[in-house]
Amino acid sequence: MADYTNYTNKEMQAVTIAKSIRDGQVVIVGTGLPLIGASLAKRVYAPKCNLIVESGLMDCSPIEVPRSVGDCRFMAHCAVQWPNIRFIGFEANEWLHGTDRLIAFIGGAQIDPYGNVNSTCIGDYHHPATRFTGSGGANGISTYSNTIIMMQHEKRRFMNQIDYVTSPGWIDGPDGRAKKHLPTNRGPQMVVTDRGVMKFDEKTKRMYLAGYYPTSSPEDVLENTGFEIDVSKAVRLEAPDPEVIRMIREEIDPGQAFIKVPQ
Amino acid sequence: MGKIYSLSDAISEFVHDGDHLVIGGFTTDRKPYAAVDEILRQGQKDFIGESGPAGGDWDMLIGEGRVKAFNNCYIANSGFTNVCRRFRKAVEEGRLLVEDYSQDVLMLQLHAASLGLPYLPVRLMMGSDLVDKWGISKEERQKIDKLPNDKFVIQDDPFHPGHKVVLCPVPEIDTAVIHVQTASPDGTCRIVGDEFHDVDIAVASKHCVVTCEEIVSNEEIRREPEKNSIPGFCVDAVVLAPYGAHPSQCYGRYDYDKEYFKEYDKASRTDEDFKAFLDKWVYGVKDHGEYLNRLGAVRLAKLKAVPGFGYAVDMTKEGK
Repeated sequence: MADYTNYTNKEMQAVTIAKSIRDGQVVIVGTGLPLIGASLAKRVYAPKCNLIVESGLMDCSPIEVPRSVGDCRFMAHCAVQWPNIRFIGFEANEWLHGTDRLIAFIGGAQIDPYGNVNSTCIGDYHHPATRFTGSGGANGISTYSNTIIMMQHEKRRFMNQIDYVTSPGWIDGPDGRAKKHLPTNRGPQMVVTDRGVMKFDEKTKRMYLAGYYPTSSPEDVLENTGFEIDVSKAVRLEAPDPEVIRMIREEIDPGQAFIKVPQ
Repeated sequence: MGKIYSLSDAISEFVHDGDHLVIGGFTTDRKPYAAVDEILRQGQKDFIGESGPAGGDWDMLIGEGRVKAFNNCYIANSGFTNVCRRFRKAVEEGRLLVEDYSQDVLMLQLHAASLGLPYLPVRLMMGSDLVDKWGISKEERQKIDKLPNDKFVIQDDPFHPGHKVVLCPVPEIDTAVIHVQTASPDGTCRIVGDEFHDVDIAVASKHCVVTCEEIVSNEEIRREPEKNSIPGFCVDAVVLAPYGAHPSQCYGRYDYDKEYFKEYDKASRTDEDFKAFLDKWVYGVKDHGEYLNRLGAVRLAKLKAVPGFGYAVDMTKEGK
């Protein structure tokens, strides 16, 4: 009998993502942990959610883990193969129609206290120390959709001032989005890291620690966050059910495309 | 003259120095790699480039210094190389003019081009540095004929007082290069799977080169017109190129070649290894046929997409 109690932080992250998805939601996933989490949600926590990707593949149920949002593993197991522009139109229309069912996962290299995310470069944009992919669908997603942001939790990533804003969050506080002519009833809802879960204060729009993992602690989060963060409301999150870990390892990502099994 | 060309003739006739070049496909899916390899062999350069989500296709062109300016929304061999390394190096060393748009904007710009729109008004990019920071300055833009003078213009929304819109330039595309599953001699094309932006750029470009897995008769492709994607009069050249998207996927035909992408990931780390890689896979073969022979039949056969799955699966292990 394999041991499914020896979960990793990445697995905990995937489970946390899965638990944040609700039945009836339309979920914009990419690849990586959000896809593992969304696939798990579909099996366990929210079987009536619908997964979509920014290449335009709608209502996906991949069998084998795709490596790209344009992968045939999505394309061959979805309800409709739309071109990308239809996806763009759909998310804009969801906002125009005032629905509350669309939730999207995005990632990046840096994040500030208001959930603005950088996935473009480190250093001066015109002479970057490190250059990344650029926006992809993330800017459009963060314009029109509520987001859950995936980050690895490090001081150099959680910064008071990030080097480039690729994906606008709450900008600089409660009126930030309005001032920038962005939809005000959309924005980041959560940050899921390898140490815990951050949410955003209703009034100030600043992130605070909402939950920490059994392998972490509020002190650990404070130590690894490059700006002041309120940890007073943090609760200890439950360790994942071994059956759920078994599912990740044996059914969802048996090839370990995104999550390595500990030795 | 008919539209059926050899790859070599199609590229030499329709792809030129200084072109505004757009490539079809999406990161590791249906990228017209055979055509890109041929462009590299022939030596055309000074491209104004964009492609929607790019991958190794543009990375090789950038790595070989063929691109003068690049409109970027995303560039990665997703799952294999997180950020294309030749692109990354060129930008970090200041050797490439690059402008960032979001993917939504760039794809909508290509769609706007297919509709003949004068410019594209969107709500996107606001509140971000995509608006505040221009990769290519106004001054630099004025020096390059095929770049619009402004990245965008922000204006009051005339229909929603108090709101702003971002007016984006619509690209004027010289040549589009795409790969499709099926075409016929008159240029009619059938794309299976997500069409991405390929129909848009075929319609919008002055010239369109299509590589395809198979050429069927004009009558055959008309038996099911509801499955067709591009009418023949939007296409200038049809090139038979089975596995023309290799190492990327071609829906219903073959999966991506993981081995190749891993080799490229490693090779693209250094100038020397990149050069050796190109000498082996691009410059060292005279054409696509020789490229396929170098890969070998067994390797290609293993990439075949399995019906029911839609990608490569070792069916001899199923049910064991």
